[in-house]
Amino acid sequence: MEDKYAIEVKDLVISYRNLKKTSIKQSLLNFKRHKQDNFVAVKGISFSVKEGEILGIIGKNGSGKSTTLNSLASIFSPDSGTIDLKGHSISLLSIGVGFQKEMTGRENIILSGMLLGFSEEQVRAKEEEIIEFAELGKFIDMPVRTYSSGMYSKLAFSITAILETDIILIDEVLSVGDQKFKKKSYKKMKSLISNKDRTVVIVSHNISTLMELCDTVMWMHDGEIKKIGEPKAILDEYVEFMEKN
Amino acid sequence: MFQKFQTDMKRYWKYAVYSAKAQLKSEVANSYLNWLWWVLEPFCYMLIYAFIFGEVFNGKEPYFPIFIFIGNTIWVFFQKTMVQSVRLVKQNKPIVSKVYLPKYVLLMTKTMVNGFKMGVCILIIVGMLIFYQVPLTWNVLYAIPLLFILFLIVFGIGCYLLHYGVFIEDLSNVVNIVLRLLLYMTGIFWDIMKRLPAPYNDYICKGNPIAFLISSMRNCVIYGQAPHHKLMLAWFCVGLLICIMGIRKIYKNENSYVKVI
Repeated sequence: MEDKYAIEVKDLVISYRNLKKTSIKQSLLNFKRHKQDNFVAVKGISFSVKEGEILGIIGKNGSGKSTTLNSLASIFSPDSGTIDLKGHSISLLSIGVGFQKEMTGRENIILSGMLLGFSEEQVRAKEEEIIEFAELGKFIDMPVRTYSSGMYSKLAFSITAILETDIILIDEVLSVGDQKFKKKSYKKMKSLISNKDRTVVIVSHNISTLMELCDTVMWMHDGEIKKIGEPKAILDEYVEFMEKN
Repeated sequence: MFQKFQTDMKRYWKYAVYSAKAQLKSEVANSYLNWLWWVLEPFCYMLIYAFIFGEVFNGKEPYFPIFIFIGNTIWVFFQKTMVQSVRLVKQNKPIVSKVYLPKYVLLMTKTMVNGFKMGVCILIIVGMLIFYQVPLTWNVLYAIPLLFILFLIVFGIGCYLLHYGVFIEDLSNVVNIVLRLLLYMTGIFWDIMKRLPAPYNDYICKGNPIAFLISSMRNCVIYGQAPHHKLMLAWFCVGLLICIMGIRKIYKNENSYVKVI
């Protein structure tokens, strides 16, 4: 029972190469394969997260944190290596699932929910709760393109926060909407995270948040794992390292 | 791959249907005449074509308005889906970059939306058949497998356009030109067999799937003739094959789309 893993990552490599957009003229003119610029964002990392564990990922900009997170959400495919989610449902919190601008907020709730793997009925059951949490009032029946950016992100957050998936990925602890909603969403997020059954992966630069929330912290540097373990020790070392460099 | 397709279909089919419905609804929600446009638009086109090609260029095919309307209905479905599939991934960037879904589901949604509009046109065709009192035979039932083949072919080619549309910036220009060429080689406004010189008309009618489908459709609906069975089977197989290959292509590459757009 103890070692039940929710996420197992083995030798994950993700690179950005040879994927530049091209036009027909360009490809006709460049018969020769030009040198491929191969940027390896994540260099063969392995780690696992137990069920109910909260993992924090820290590292300087461009160290591959977000790429790792995106590949966990299976938005990016690994170039080699494997990611095993053991059949858990997963969602990227805070930025939500994208919306179709021409459709109403209500329709987008249903569509987003379905994309997260819920049935239409399940989403409908939670619909009112989401609308209430997002504080959109009558705007919920208007096309999303008429929303202000605050309303947009409030709705996005509410959908992923209320429709709870087994694994939640958080890219930078969010600050959505006005002061009041910020507080509310932070509280909601904390309650989501502290649920014992939920596995959470947080990417953040905020040392105190990570210290407060995480069971384990992983420090990434240039696409590799520099250290992984107890939050306190690693975060202290990280702060020291960042100040030196 | 087939297994993955099956589980994905189970999970995303309802999404595609709901998304198609919502798209149709949002399309008409803000316009003045609402869903009437789905009827008005093709009907007006038909009037224009019937006037230009019937009166000005003297088209002599029996039941000329229906003749044109069938051609135009099928062509518009094909053309619209082709053009839209090129930009599909880019257009759905907000979704594609935040959650996983098999990218051909986007194409399915578009095919359904355009298919629904085609359905409205088919109802108009039924109305016209009654209005002109066209004598029907049982051969009219061939319309069903013909439509099925049309869906296969459109979806299959759409998969490829969706894939290459992500990587090649100016693909839509090329697609537009090719479609224009195809338009004239498909015979929407005239009967290819009668208007083009001898061996070529037959080549086009058999080698261009849309031309084949349109002329077969006209033959079975208006003129009571059964379509060419072997050709029908051949195009069915081709359609199925490109669908399978197209879906496989998307499965193989879809997760790198996000890195590009």
